[in-house]
Amino acid sequence: MFLPESMSRIVIVGSNSCIDETIEALYDLETVHLIDHTVDADEGFTLGTPRPYSPKASERLLKVRAMEKDLGINKHTKTAPISESEIRSQITSDSVESIEKEVRAVLDKRNDLNQRITELNAKKKNLELLARLPIDQLELYSGYKSIASMVGTVSSDPTAALGDMGEVYYDSSKKEGNVVAVFVKNDDRTKAQNILSENGFMEIPVPEGTGSVKEALAATEAEIAAAEADLEVVQKETEDLFEKHKAFLRASDEELTADAEKGTLPVRIASTKYSFVIDAWVPTKEAENVKASIESRVPQTFVEIEENRGRREEEAEAAEERFKTAPTKMKHGKISKLFEYPTRMVSVPKYNEVDPTVLIAIFLPLFFGFMVGDAGYAIPFIILGIYGLKYAKLAEWRAIATVLLFGGIWAFIFGFFIFGEALGMHFIEGEHELAVASTWQGLLGLDNLPDALPWLLNGPEFDVGGPGIHKIGEEWVGFLLKLSVYVGVIHLLLGFCLAVYNKSVQHGFVHGFLDKGGQLLCFVGMVILCYGLTAFLGMTDLEENIMYTMMGVGGAIVVVGSILLARAEGAMQIIVELPDTIGIILSYTRLTAICMSKAGMALAFNYIAIEMIAMGIGGTAGAIIGFLVFVVLQLMVWTLGILSCGLHALRLQLVEFMIRFYEGDGTEFTPLKFKHIKTISDKEVKEA
Amino acid sequence: MASTDIGLGLIAIGAGIAVGLAGLGTGMAQKDIGAAAIGAITEDSKLFGKALMFMVLPETIVIFGLVIAILAAFVLPGSIIADFANAE
Repeated sequence: MFLPESMSRIVIVGSNSCIDETIEALYDLETVHLIDHTVDADEGFTLGTPRPYSPKASERLLKVRAMEKDLGINKHTKTAPISESEIRSQITSDSVESIEKEVRAVLDKRNDLNQRITELNAKKKNLELLARLPIDQLELYSGYKSIASMVGTVSSDPTAALGDMGEVYYDSSKKEGNVVAVFVKNDDRTKAQNILSENGFMEIPVPEGTGSVKEALAATEAEIAAAEADLEVVQKETEDLFEKHKAFLRASDEELTADAEKGTLPVRIASTKYSFVIDAWVPTKEAENVKASIESRVPQTFVEIEENRGRREEEAEAAEERFKTAPTKMKHGKISKLFEYPTRMVSVPKYNEVDPTVLIAIFLPLFFGFMVGDAGYAIPFIILGIYGLKYAKLAEWRAIATVLLFGGIWAFIFGFFIFGEALGMHFIEGEHELAVASTWQGLLGLDNLPDALPWLLNGPEFDVGGPGIHKIGEEWVGFLLKLSVYVGVIHLLLGFCLAVYNKSVQHGFVHGFLDKGGQLLCFVGMVILCYGLTAFLGMTDLEENIMYTMMGVGGAIVVVGSILLARAEGAMQIIVELPDTIGIILSYTRLTAICMSKAGMALAFNYIAIEMIAMGIGGTAGAIIGFLVFVVLQLMVWTLGILSCGLHALRLQLVEFMIRFYEGDGTEFTPLKFKHIKTISDKEVKEA
Repeated sequence: MASTDIGLGLIAIGAGIAVGLAGLGTGMAQKDIGAAAIGAITEDSKLFGKALMFMVLPETIVIFGLVIAILAAFVLPGSIIADFANAE
């Protein structure tokens, strides 16, 4: 159940005349994971060449993609899907080329206009600067034999520095910048330039032409207006093109992508002058079906099931290099599939190791729920989770929504039935209620509750501290900490057992136990030994003989475990492993620590807000401010809940649990298939 | 009663120091790992999962601090008050 799906290796042999049908058949099956042929792997075989239709398809695809980019069509553009046969007939009748011509014409016009408007705007800006100077004729700025003219913007006034070197016209404006026109003798040019550059001079080109600057400015503005009007018309044409061709472009993009991919497939397989050989992995349960289906659809081919790959490492090592690694196809139900993301985040499991996804699906929401442990925070988590799973598309968001939904359900169960609290306040006033704590019973003024209710709302009665568990209560701290340690022991024990199991699957039980059994025994021994020790130190009550037996047995197991460990991984590992056992178990106390620190925060915030409302400072306004403070602070606790509880619950899976047994680095099973989004496959059309 | 008050105050200070110093330790460790992790993720975004794993490793230190603080704040006061009552 926990191992990935069993795989079989098949070989498909056929004559080159039927390669296109075979490729189509493989894509339709959607269960064939191709094994890339390597050069010189088999004598007499070479890599195949792309199909004849492939270059044309790639060329058309390039055109379609370019048009999509220019028209602003992307994968979020909503279009109606087109049937495959229709889009194919359109593509073969050169629709791509004719549409490209149409689109290019409009787009070229648009680009020209845009460029013209940019140039005119630059010209206008220069003319506006010149218009502020007293020289009104454009021809007066240039065309002198013995005089050099310099026109531009400056950061400070150069008039004084230039002195009587020549004519200086200057206008300053804080908003639009300072503009200067300087006319000096050719001999003084360098000197004047130096002075100007000290004042931050930036030359501006004086527009060509004659006549009044103001008139030139007006003419330019008129030109800009005309060009913008033209651009608007072209813009409208572009929008029309977008509407007209979006469905075709999206559908042909999809179809041509498929063609290009299928067309280059022969490059990945072995071929001779007349025949081809395809090696592939298929799930074992599908192998017979795949064989029958290909052979019936393409009669000129022959399919043989070469091997059913077992989980033993020896089998993989005996195989040829390219057949060594079988791909991993994780098999999951509807719910556990949602938890594949955290597993993938570390790595894809190997073909012959346990896929931890199901275990993550059990423990991740459980730990999250325990740490939140509050019915009031749980409900928004559940709602957000359902909403996310319904609407989110991105894998990351879906993963978060999954944890929120299932973690939220656990949080509600713990919050309602065990801790009996919502928004950091207990439902019912308990015996050990803290002086600063408010309860819903007290807030709502419910003095006489029916007998059945307190049990329901306050959780089962424990003999430690009365009914219900108080997260912040000295009677309960010890209990909760111990509980989290026990949970840790169970979770880790599972991890260590899985390590032994993985190695047993890969190399046989004896080898597996000798390799990983040392860690398992050290862990079990340390747990028993430490339990005995706590009694010895007077922290737990145990009969004396039981206590000494536990310490003895624990010690003995640790010794055996250490010997195995030293044999497998060297004596140094014992020094690392034994103290680490305590560390990783105590790491699970975070379950209680975070649960309590969140409850502590909520307690403090509630105290602040409820005091503000109860004291009645500022009348109604004070009460409203108090309520707002309550909302904001509660929201803070809730948000921190997602971050700290989510991250720590995940960490316990990834670090404490998975490191014990998980290796990963498997190859994902990626069958040849094509997803129809904007096209409707011919098969579907026929079925409809 | 004054000596119990001083005792409780010292416990509170102790709890604060436990969380504070442990937090500092975690922060110092995470600073280096975080910088390296961001570098690695920039190179290859697939490393995110592994980087996150290393990133959260030192968080255990602050959790130990928090647990000690919780024990100090909740379990110690009871025993001190009881001892004080016995002494009287």
